[in-house]
Amino acid sequence: MIAGNAWVDALVRMGIIGALVPVSVIVLTWVERKVIGRMQMRLGPMRVGPYGTLQGFADTIKLLTKEDVRPQTADRWTFELAPFVIVVPTLMALVSLPFTADLFVRNLTLGLFYIVAVSGLSIVGFVMAGWGSDNKYALIGGIRAAAQLISYEIPLVMAVLAIAMIGQTLNLSEIVAKQHNVPYIAYQPLTFIIFTIAGLAELYRQPFDIPVAESEVVGGPFVEYSGIRWSMFQLGEFVNLVLISILGSLIFLGGWRWPIGGDAPVIAQFALMFVKASVFILFFMWMRASLPRLRIDQLMAYCWQLLLPFAFLQIVINGLVLVYDWPSVLLTVFSTIAAAAAIWLTYRVAQQSGVRYQPGFDRVGSVL
Amino acid sequence: MLGIVRALGTTMRAAMRKPVTVQYPTEKKELPHRSRGFPVLLWDTRITEPFCTGCQVCARYCPVDCITVTMRDNPKYAEGKSKRKKIVDKFYLDYARCMRCDICVEVCNFDAIVMNNTWQGVELSCYDRQDLVLDLPALLEQSRSGQLEDPFREPMGVAHSGWAPKAEEEGEAEAAPAAQTAAPAAPEQATTEGGEG
Repeated sequence: MIAGNAWVDALVRMGIIGALVPVSVIVLTWVERKVIGRMQMRLGPMRVGPYGTLQGFADTIKLLTKEDVRPQTADRWTFELAPFVIVVPTLMALVSLPFTADLFVRNLTLGLFYIVAVSGLSIVGFVMAGWGSDNKYALIGGIRAAAQLISYEIPLVMAVLAIAMIGQTLNLSEIVAKQHNVPYIAYQPLTFIIFTIAGLAELYRQPFDIPVAESEVVGGPFVEYSGIRWSMFQLGEFVNLVLISILGSLIFLGGWRWPIGGDAPVIAQFALMFVKASVFILFFMWMRASLPRLRIDQLMAYCWQLLLPFAFLQIVINGLVLVYDWPSVLLTVFSTIAAAAAIWLTYRVAQQSGVRYQPGFDRVGSVL
Repeated sequence: MLGIVRALGTTMRAAMRKPVTVQYPTEKKELPHRSRGFPVLLWDTRITEPFCTGCQVCARYCPVDCITVTMRDNPKYAEGKSKRKKIVDKFYLDYARCMRCDICVEVCNFDAIVMNNTWQGVELSCYDRQDLVLDLPALLEQSRSGQLEDPFREPMGVAHSGWAPKAEEEGEAEAAPAAQTAAPAAPEQATTEGGEG
């Protein structure tokens, strides 16, 4: 408790998170441009502030002062409310997300469930934006977003469910506490792979940026948005990035604990969470710089034919091990075997469907 | 699948390498010696007058008509200091119109005009189009102050004027002779002198 009154306490905590998250988003846009710049042998932003550190803030000021345009034929309320429908659920999800052992707004008993449930709402925002813009590209983008996000929500939820089975709780703080000796990535490598891929798809980032593909649907649902409303889409995207990264580091990497057991002091807890979440974020940026976009049929097939069955397989394995009280080493063994099978299957399908366009540049884009 | 791994490896290798970006206004790449900036006139430091005699060949051949030249009698010729009977009086060059075709340099009989191979020859942004019409002092300024250290085309210079003593004879009498006043290569010298004689 920071303050005596529960309401005041909650407000203070929400204020802290509500102030920190936009700033972290601003910094993240800069980090992303820098990282991708380096991966393309560029420098990235360098002009605004030392090493371009103030670039994000300059962009924010520019976006906030830009004219907010609404097309004449747009459906007024749908169009104007869509950014809120996207941003608000992601911010709501942060309410139950513990950043360290003590820094959280509310430590919900059903925290994991709540986060999954709430962050699924933002799909409605994409459909609203697509429909309300009265623009065919926006509409196609919105429909694509709905299809992709709903599809990948399922393996994501199943992966989270497998973790909840191991942890025997939906409370995120307890899940972290249960990883006192071994982080869950050791028990559930397959779940980790599924979570990372599905999470990447949930963030609609490359190579899963089909709904917002510039070259196909010129930005998808955001086509008609400008200024502050567009920046809200951007905010939602990056808050989601932070959310998935922190969630992943909480349930797989042991959150604010040292990697191999042991409690950490408060400062180290911050540092550990920062490092673990950064690993996720940098990995997502790395993927973005490296991989071309998938086709929508590849995307759907990969989700429904591979990720989902393997997520169910993981749940069955977990159930067997837990019900018959087998030693937890078996979880590692079975999950590793299943992960190897998943990777092998992906590899085989990719080998079969890959079309050789140029020698030396084959099958980079075809996952299935 | 393996392609994904290869792609990740490629980007990581690229990230490890030094970025190729040059931070242009603060950090400039060296221009090639033959780089064609906008043309400037050369200054004969030995006789302290322009190489240009105002013969108007450049103005006549200029495809976009951006050069205006007038000629006058050279007072230094009367004094016996220079071999140029005529000297340039006024010279206007409109950089806004010039297309850097190099023809004026090709046709100049006295190698008095060169394409500027420094950054000053291309960084010419200004607020008024009128500022891009350069007059004689402005065109000579860079060569006169020695900023045009190494023009691509050496002027026929001392040998061409046929008046001032040769560089090795003169020694260090004159302070800091600019590069363009150095005697040109021998065969060129022979032909030009022959032509003049």
